[in-house]
Amino acid sequence: MAKKSVWSDNRFWQRTAAWITGFASVLLIWLTFDTSAQISMGTDADIQSGVTKRVPGPTVINYKIAYEFNKKRQHEIPVIGGMNAEGTSAFQEKEKFFGRDDWSEAEASEMLRLGKLGSQSKNCMNCHTLLGNGAYYAPDLTKAWLDPAWGPTGSMQAMTGKSTKEEAMAEFLQHPSQYPTHSRMMPNLGITAEEAKGLVAFLKHMSSIDTNGFPRNFGKIQGAVNGK
Amino acid sequence: MNAMFEPFVDVVPSFFGTLAQGPLTLTIFLHTVIILPMFWIYKQEKARLEQEGN
Repeated sequence: MAKKSVWSDNRFWQRTAAWITGFASVLLIWLTFDTSAQISMGTDADIQSGVTKRVPGPTVINYKIAYEFNKKRQHEIPVIGGMNAEGTSAFQEKEKFFGRDDWSEAEASEMLRLGKLGSQSKNCMNCHTLLGNGAYYAPDLTKAWLDPAWGPTGSMQAMTGKSTKEEAMAEFLQHPSQYPTHSRMMPNLGITAEEAKGLVAFLKHMSSIDTNGFPRNFGKIQGAVNGK
Repeated sequence: MNAMFEPFVDVVPSFFGTLAQGPLTLTIFLHTVIILPMFWIYKQEKARLEQEGN
């Protein structure tokens, strides 16, 4: 009788399959908890004490947010409240958001919540992309707050007749069909002034999230480097 | 300069961060934990088959 090969032995493959399935399960469960810890939102206390979180607390809307190339990580990272010596967030420099830079954690959370619900009810993702989810029919909104078109030298403030980034964005969101920005014009979605405020807060907060440099090459878009 | 081993650059040090530091890090890890135990299982099964006289 021919010698039986291990390769054609059932038990060898059963044990191999059991090992791989078991090990992969443990790894994936561990990965789930590791990820949820990393993507959980920070708090105002984190910002006050200068702790960099991947997703900063809601009061980040009180701070100036920039997007700077980080040599060590080889991609752009959000820099909140000015840059420290290590090239990361200093959490010092504030920036007024709708006239205030002292939004409390509760107020900011409420605005972000309104913005998130608004973005869902108006189905922004049907055309735009948020944090990698959505469509590419309209511009990627992940870092839209940092788009120089909305800045002091961009065209959007003049077009909407507003003098700040947040007011220009809020005005545009309420009457998008009045402002021809793109051949694929944004339709009027019936966004109210309050909802627009929430949506802009939502966008500002989203731009402060460390997405490991996603969307790739955002900083190489003309003028976007260093928030200019 | 491109060193063979780069310093860890992720936001927060994490085990999974170490697996994503380059194109080979995950591959080497998975081969280590999947293929090496397979050699061990192979040897055990071979010994068992020989013992059973097949």
